[in-house]
Amino acid sequence: MGYRAENLFRLFKAAAPTMLGVLGVLLLAAPIRLFEGFAPTPILPLVIVFFWSIYGPDYLPPLSVFVIGLLQDLLTGGPLGLWPAVYLVTQYIVMSQRAYFIGREQKVVWIGFAFASAGAGLILWLVMSLMSGALLPVRFLLLQLAATIAIYPLFGVVFGELHRRVLVEA
Amino acid sequence: MDYLGQDRREGLGRKAHSRFVLVLLILVSVLLLLSSLYSAQASVFKKAREGVMDAASPVLSLFAGPINYVNGVAGSIGDYFNVIEQNKALRQENAELRQWMNEALELRETVASYEALKGYAAPPTAQPISAYVIGESNDAFARSMIVNAGRANNVEVGQAVVDENGLIGRIVEAGGGASRVLLLTDIQSRIPVYIEGADIEGILVGNTRRNPVISFTAGVDDVEAAPGQRVLTSGAGGALPRGLPVGTVIGENRGEIIVELYANYARTRLVRVINYAFPHVEPEAAIDPSAPGEESAVSGDPEPAPAEG
Repeated sequence: MGYRAENLFRLFKAAAPTMLGVLGVLLLAAPIRLFEGFAPTPILPLVIVFFWSIYGPDYLPPLSVFVIGLLQDLLTGGPLGLWPAVYLVTQYIVMSQRAYFIGREQKVVWIGFAFASAGAGLILWLVMSLMSGALLPVRFLLLQLAATIAIYPLFGVVFGELHRRVLVEA
Repeated sequence: MDYLGQDRREGLGRKAHSRFVLVLLILVSVLLLLSSLYSAQASVFKKAREGVMDAASPVLSLFAGPINYVNGVAGSIGDYFNVIEQNKALRQENAELRQWMNEALELRETVASYEALKGYAAPPTAQPISAYVIGESNDAFARSMIVNAGRANNVEVGQAVVDENGLIGRIVEAGGGASRVLLLTDIQSRIPVYIEGADIEGILVGNTRRNPVISFTAGVDDVEAAPGQRVLTSGAGGALPRGLPVGTVIGENRGEIIVELYANYARTRLVRVINYAFPHVEPEAAIDPSAPGEESAVSGDPEPAPAEG
């Protein structure tokens, strides 16, 4: 591999989680309507923020998280600053608990993710309710969070392999 | 899993500043949130939204192929299970629609004979712009769709968007080649409507639930609406044409009427943006009772039969 190609690969490795986050946002903006819309699209960026906040905070710096969240706001038409705030607060909390999660079984991390999602959902609901001046119905939010938590084990394994084999070792 | 605990500085970030930057960016987000509360329509934000929408629209269009395939496969699984009931329901609906068709053909003849009379001024016909849904906000509290037609196709903010069932929403952002449709179920959606036969106008208010409600202005009390009555756009405020089918009344809850929409957002694929200019009414013509205000503005719009109890 030439010098230039190597540099490009290093850049790719460094930017991979950020790009995955952007891809996750695009999937959220795509008209995926599984089972007539009864299965909501999982919030994949939340999984990405959570995963790399634990296993490789250097790969997903706060600025990347901010950009991912802002892109989601711009694409889904919500108030600007909402998703950056949700993702960044999640990152802050998860990073403060990093020492606990590192080296734990994936089951334990999964439960941690469930708590993190619940927290993120609570922030989202509180902010949106405040902004609209009424307590909003939570049914769809709960469904979406459930879908996100349900896919975590799969993506945890996939991201784990990616992180270990490509980002760290290759 | 100790391999996941490694701490090499290979990523985009540098650890020493990380915590400080994180807190700073949280503050920035909160400030942004507060400022967008007070100036949601500020031109900087608007430009950013339109720019991102335009930039993302080719990518989203690219996604559309595989996504439609997956949606089709997953959707047809359900169809296999209730194919017989569906067939039965469709046959019944078909029979009903045939009766309506005959009635419509008769009416068309009658209307044509009236239109042939002198002194009839035809209302302006709408210019529909066809577009595909390429994006959708899969968000708990924001309900909107992105369609692949923009200012280049004469789409403008405020125009009504319909699909084959009825009204689905209106344009809130128009980029160069893509626009955002605010759906009727969004919390910010407010559409002036009236209930057919009840002679009362109200505002259809979205609440992120499946069925939006009609709220009435203070002073109107004791609204009587029977389930099954049609709800149509009233054209009040001059934003949307009058007479676009919206849904049917299904019930009442604390003075608000619950509406079941004709639109099925899980199936909306091809939409039409209605580029409609209200007729310019001359002052003397305004007294004329034959002024074309009550006409259904969109000709050739398939109006579904009212749901039978």
